[in-house]
Amino acid sequence: MNEQLHTKNKKDIGSLIVASFFIFVAVMTFYDTTQYSDLDSKVFPRACAIVLLIFSVLTIVWEFTKPSSSEGFGNGYWWRRIVLVVTMLIACVAMPYITFLPAGMIAFAGGLIAAMHDRWSRRTLLLYWGSGLVIIIAFYAIFHYVLHVPLP
Amino acid sequence: MFTKTFKSHFKKINYRSFFSISLTTLAAFTFAVTAQAQVNGPVNYVIPFGPGGESDISARLQQPFFKEKFGQDLVISYKPGGGGAVGWASLNNLKGDGQTIMGVNLPHIIIKPAQKDVGFTTDNITSFYMFHFTPDALVVTADSPYKSLQDLIDAAKKKPGAVTLSGSGKASANHLAQIKFDKMAGIKTTYVPFKGTGAAVTALLGKQVKAEWGYTTVGAKQGKAVRLLAVAMEERHPLFPNVPTFKELGYDMVGGAYRGMALPSSASESTRKAWSKMVGEINNDPAFQKKMLDGGFAMLDIDYGNMDAFMKERVKEYISDARAAGLIK
Amino acid sequence: MDASNFLNALTPFNMMLALFGVVAGTVIGSIPGLTATMAVAVLVPITFSMEPASALILLGAIYTGAIYGGAYAAILLNTPGTPSAIATTFDGYPMAKRGDGDLAVAIACFASVAGGLVGALGLLFLAPPLSKVALAFGPVEYFWLSIFGLSLIASLSQGNLLKGLVGGAFGLILSTVGIAEISADVRLTFGSQTMIAGFEVVGALIGLYCIPVLINLAAVPDRHLKVESEVGSLRILEAAKVTLKSKFNLIRSSVIGTVVGILPGAGGSVAGLVAYSEAKRTARPEQRFGEGEPDGIIATEASNNATVGGGFIPTLVLGIPGTPPDAVILGALLIQGVRTGPTLFEGGGSIVYTFIYGLIIATVLMLPTGLLIGRYAYKTIITIPKAVLVPTVGFMTIIGTFAIRNSISDVIIMICLGVFGWLISRFGFAASPIVLGLILGPIAEQGFVQSWIIGSATDNLWGMFFGRPISLVIVAFTILSLTYPLIVKRRMQNKKSPTDLKAE
Repeated sequence: MNEQLHTKNKKDIGSLIVASFFIFVAVMTFYDTTQYSDLDSKVFPRACAIVLLIFSVLTIVWEFTKPSSSEGFGNGYWWRRIVLVVTMLIACVAMPYITFLPAGMIAFAGGLIAAMHDRWSRRTLLLYWGSGLVIIIAFYAIFHYVLHVPLP
Repeated sequence: MFTKTFKSHFKKINYRSFFSISLTTLAAFTFAVTAQAQVNGPVNYVIPFGPGGESDISARLQQPFFKEKFGQDLVISYKPGGGGAVGWASLNNLKGDGQTIMGVNLPHIIIKPAQKDVGFTTDNITSFYMFHFTPDALVVTADSPYKSLQDLIDAAKKKPGAVTLSGSGKASANHLAQIKFDKMAGIKTTYVPFKGTGAAVTALLGKQVKAEWGYTTVGAKQGKAVRLLAVAMEERHPLFPNVPTFKELGYDMVGGAYRGMALPSSASESTRKAWSKMVGEINNDPAFQKKMLDGGFAMLDIDYGNMDAFMKERVKEYISDARAAGLIK
Repeated sequence: MDASNFLNALTPFNMMLALFGVVAGTVIGSIPGLTATMAVAVLVPITFSMEPASALILLGAIYTGAIYGGAYAAILLNTPGTPSAIATTFDGYPMAKRGDGDLAVAIACFASVAGGLVGALGLLFLAPPLSKVALAFGPVEYFWLSIFGLSLIASLSQGNLLKGLVGGAFGLILSTVGIAEISADVRLTFGSQTMIAGFEVVGALIGLYCIPVLINLAAVPDRHLKVESEVGSLRILEAAKVTLKSKFNLIRSSVIGTVVGILPGAGGSVAGLVAYSEAKRTARPEQRFGEGEPDGIIATEASNNATVGGGFIPTLVLGIPGTPPDAVILGALLIQGVRTGPTLFEGGGSIVYTFIYGLIIATVLMLPTGLLIGRYAYKTIITIPKAVLVPTVGFMTIIGTFAIRNSISDVIIMICLGVFGWLISRFGFAASPIVLGLILGPIAEQGFVQSWIIGSATDNLWGMFFGRPISLVIVAFTILSLTYPLIVKRRMQNKKSPTDLKAE
């Protein structure tokens, strides 16, 4: 009972934070439009900012009166989510310096570690890392040689 | 500089077939190798717009000739956004080994950076060749009541602002032409910006607007569906012998959008010169010229050596036009 | 249009091209980031040495294959392989999750082939008159069309309408970031050079749809998709039955797709959304759109493949590309020395008709190849261990987003947007309204600004927005769509059955 109440509160706070963030976005957008020289570029974003502001405020009001039943973050390992995203970002930031293939391997390794829920056996170790290598190189070859994408 | 390139060519010749070459053929051979030495494998040709526009089509026309002359693929890719600014802002981060080139457009690369900070400046774009231009043209539909330029001027004088003209974007060649011509003729028209020439022409054909500020290419593409009232050229375009120039009609308007190609600034002097030479060779091919003229383009040959002077002239012209139009401060 | 053109299309070489095109297109389209436009652009140089009709057949086949291929990733990974398949994710992914992925893939194939055929037949018989549609649509009509598309937010976010509207407005604002498309301002970059490029739509799609799936997949040990049926069969008969049962939806969506394809300012993504919206509006009460309703897939896939034939209509008749891939094809035609225009259908008709028959053949070939590739794609996705699936898809999102305009900042934006989308989705703010805003924003803005300018110039602002017949029809449909949730609610209150309770 107590716990349920607790999680419910947490969810509401999440919605409130998100809605407040959108209010911030709306205000920033409105502020930005004051600096445009051309009326034609001003109308649309300004109208959208007003709409966003109104609905965000209404969302907050609504959350107070009638809390929603959103899922919250649910179960799952935070470290896995973080490893996945962070390695992808690291790979992108590093790509211009270390070229594409090593960067791709960083991203792949991160995802592999993040998503591997079973125990590593010698077979899976070899198979998964090996197939990763093959996939990366195959994609690189297709994009670079067939599609002529100038990968860094 | 010269000796360096010469040496490198010499090496190539050396290992290719040194023995049988007399001095005269050596000179001729150097020519062929110059071009080939600069491109190793497919060249990435970035168009900073979406497909289907004049930039894309003229690049596509170059494509087969490049392959035929230099044996390598010219791979066209699109990097649209911000009226070209997205592409040009990224140009100097690309490798300057001559394997990547980018299309450039005037007045875009002059006016955009003059208006706002858009991530590049006119000076840091290394254009090496301007290969054609599309002369401004005032276009109406074939069944339009405006039979001549004078008809349009009269209509605009009768009801200032009621003549609507579509065109591609704001602060573009079309927009500048509209402002300039309004001033010259002492009229007031309404300019409606569209995303690209294709959309502007569609609006014209659909009678959403009364006329269009476009290019001669519109006349070539649409054929009998449209009528050009006048073209902003020194002389009449060979494809439209019956369309007068603005000059003939008493308005000193010559101009349009110029298109060329640029390299990342890290490209060596020899790479720039080699590319200038290669594009010049394509431009000199009569078959290429015919395709371009049939498409309504007008040829232009500004090579790397003449680029600085040409750009200086254009910058002066466009900046003063844009300033007079109130597009930049 | 006589038999000789048909026979020309049937030469072994052209048949081979059609087959190759469909297969290559399907594979390319199934990879998020590789769009139909890119597939066609890359292959244009190959066609230089071909006959114009053969070149067109190859390009058309690739195009139609790519639009279909986009459905795989949409169904199996919740990531539209091409923007056309956005609405496929709405019901495709829920179906796959509950174990009907094989059925969904097969349905998508049938619907795509049917839609493709309707579009191609429209091109064959009605091209010159239909091309007038492209011209009848002016700025106002585009503006209202985008509003109609946005009205889908209301029905997509039942029970959470406010949050959906917030997302939609946010998406619209995102669409304005960067250098303005038709005016001349730099907007919402806050001094950042990276933001000048704005949010690349395809990249944003990948981020908003795919990254959350990956994050959720990595976090828990459960399987990616539930597997009920035996691996290997694609439940083809069942899919055929389901598709045939919805023949009205199938035809309506195909017609919508053909017409929207004709409009140069819209494309497969808008067609899919409009058709989905209509299918949902006219749904039977027991149908649960958004929770794995096959009719949602049928509507989207039929309409987006119909845009292929539809898009060729203005391209060939008016020289105005109907969709971005058509723009590339138009360029290829110019190089071939083929002049487009009404005369193309009269004078030099043979090229056009050979091509149209080729397109029809390619579309028919899509049935066996699509089912075959679909089966393989499905099998791969469900048998591949999750530990390999997640990094592989993650890697594909990176390389695919990069390839769109060779920009690493686009990839970083994609990932950040994905994480943001995941975070807010945990609190009931769904990704789809944001995507709708992002896609329809530019159409709405340009349509509005142009209508405003023209209306002011002609002193007829009111008549401009509300005085044109086509716009009024679109407005009427928008109102219908918007009031739809209320009607449903009333209907449900009238006969409350236990299964209907959940929707409230």
